[in-house]
Amino acid sequence: MKDERHVITRRDFIRGTVGAAVGTSILGFDWSEAEAKAVRSSLVTVVRDKNAMDSSKNVDSAIVKKMLDQTLTSFTGKKNAKDAWLSLVKPDDTIGLVPTDHLNPTHDEVTDAVRSSLMDAGIPKKRIIMAQGDPSMPKKCTALIALPALKAHWLTGIGTVFKTYIMYSGSPDSYHEENSAKLGEIWNLPFVKGKTKLVLVDALYPLCDKGPQPDPRYKWAYNGLIAGTDPVAVETVSLQILNEKRKAMRGEPWPLSPPPLCVEAADKMYKLGTSQMKEIKIEHFGWKQDLLL
Amino acid sequence: MKLSLKTVFYLLTIIMTASISEGATAKMKAYKLDLPKTVGVWTRPDSARLVDSTNIFKYMNGAGELYLAYGFNHIDVYEYSADNQEIISVELYHMKTSDDAFGLLSLDWASDSAALNDSPADKTIAPSSRTLYGSGLLRIWSDNIYARVMAYRETPASKEAVLSLGRAIVANRKTPPEPELLNVLSHTIGSDWKLRKDRIGYFRSYLVLNSLYYVSHENILNLDLSTEAVTAPYEKMSDTENRRRAQFLFVKYANPDLARQALEHFHKAYLPEHKQNFAASPMTESPNFFKLEDGWSGYKLHDKYIMLVFECPDQETAGIIIQSGLRSALFQK
Repeated sequence: MKDERHVITRRDFIRGTVGAAVGTSILGFDWSEAEAKAVRSSLVTVVRDKNAMDSSKNVDSAIVKKMLDQTLTSFTGKKNAKDAWLSLVKPDDTIGLVPTDHLNPTHDEVTDAVRSSLMDAGIPKKRIIMAQGDPSMPKKCTALIALPALKAHWLTGIGTVFKTYIMYSGSPDSYHEENSAKLGEIWNLPFVKGKTKLVLVDALYPLCDKGPQPDPRYKWAYNGLIAGTDPVAVETVSLQILNEKRKAMRGEPWPLSPPPLCVEAADKMYKLGTSQMKEIKIEHFGWKQDLLL
Repeated sequence: MKLSLKTVFYLLTIIMTASISEGATAKMKAYKLDLPKTVGVWTRPDSARLVDSTNIFKYMNGAGELYLAYGFNHIDVYEYSADNQEIISVELYHMKTSDDAFGLLSLDWASDSAALNDSPADKTIAPSSRTLYGSGLLRIWSDNIYARVMAYRETPASKEAVLSLGRAIVANRKTPPEPELLNVLSHTIGSDWKLRKDRIGYFRSYLVLNSLYYVSHENILNLDLSTEAVTAPYEKMSDTENRRRAQFLFVKYANPDLARQALEHFHKAYLPEHKQNFAASPMTESPNFFKLEDGWSGYKLHDKYIMLVFECPDQETAGIIIQSGLRSALFQK
């Protein structure tokens, strides 16, 4: 019978038909018929510094600030961080900083560097708020800076960019397991859509296995910041780094399990950016060892 | 009011049962591991924080799903703190059975044995160590307790403190054998297939299965707390370069009806194009095999057991792996 709902299985991933399967079974939309015709292009910067953390994993704030400056100028093509910020946000914006505190929290040094850099650019302190939390938080903001830390997640595969706004949904429990494919819809809520001016992933000390609780065995010093304005492209690059690290760690293929559904869905269903590596231009600066890209 | 003798007897029975039950509960609640007040420079508070199924999500967000996917009772949480030092956390997961605690340890064997003077399990299918340490994290299976002791910063002193706490946790506790269900796994199958002991996982939930070996985002094998399952890969010994693998999955249901229903569900979801063959071929007879995108798969229903195999290079391999599991299951009965 044709009307029976398709169940997503490992076979869909092996066939490469997971996108269509997610589309028809969870999202009620056949995205195979809505393939993007235009060639897209997204820029993602990866800035690394070998000394961003010491051997005890203490973060050097001054180095993080320099890495942020490099990120901003490279990404925008502007000559300094101030001009870069002012090309992304307006001086009268209320800017929400959105770090994550779960499993592998965003380093305070990264959040602080963004705040002070915005203030250096002339944004009044009172207009920069911490905006992680319930739906009332993004409603207070006219601009958002997403600041997730790079991490895998045992229920959704990856738990980095798209999970950052999960609390904005008001019902985070409804985005687990196969429904994690819908995480992108949160970015299209009326009080969120269009507000994200920068996605800056704290990849100083990522977590490459699922957890579900913090596990130091699977953290490593990548000493990087990954940035872009296309959240799908940033998540796609983050995913590649996690997968390559897992393979290197075990010396054999070790795919994220369960495989993440949200990345391709964010591209095909929610039109938030590109999940195709061939459409992503990666610009790398700094420390090259074990880049994993 | 006049009560009949029968009524009085019933009332007395209810009161006595309630008293015994309360006593047992109180005894269970009173049971605490005798953890040292101080270890090295670290000191713990007087009492543990109690986490149970009513507040587990508040304590650890979605990670709580993992523990509720096993027979879970409660967690005692201690934080050892010291001036100018990162904390050491101790989480004692009190599970309903030793098998449940073993299952939590089995999710990841990738650490060194901590050698805490505990007794390694004898003649095991899985790795024999009950205590695993790596990068500041000590994990322990001790009877019905699964423990995580973690130094937020690993130093020689914090490592010693973590191991010292581990020794206190395992001291004078029983060391039951690994779950009986693991006996369905053979160390070798035929002359060419060897069990990857370090990838054995024991579980009761599809969420856990998916973290070990992804099958489906939905619960297509009807796994729940009444089921027991074990999965592990077999690796082809003569092909060390390519590491050819086949994944074996064995599930035990509460009764044969539930096993049959689960297999029907699995087949419908995983092998929809083979529907007609399924109807024509009784599942209880010879194993069913299917050539799929990643190799040969097969399954066999027997009594309350389902055996499944994935990613085999050929039908013959799928057959011998399932037959091996079946023989072991019959031996268990």
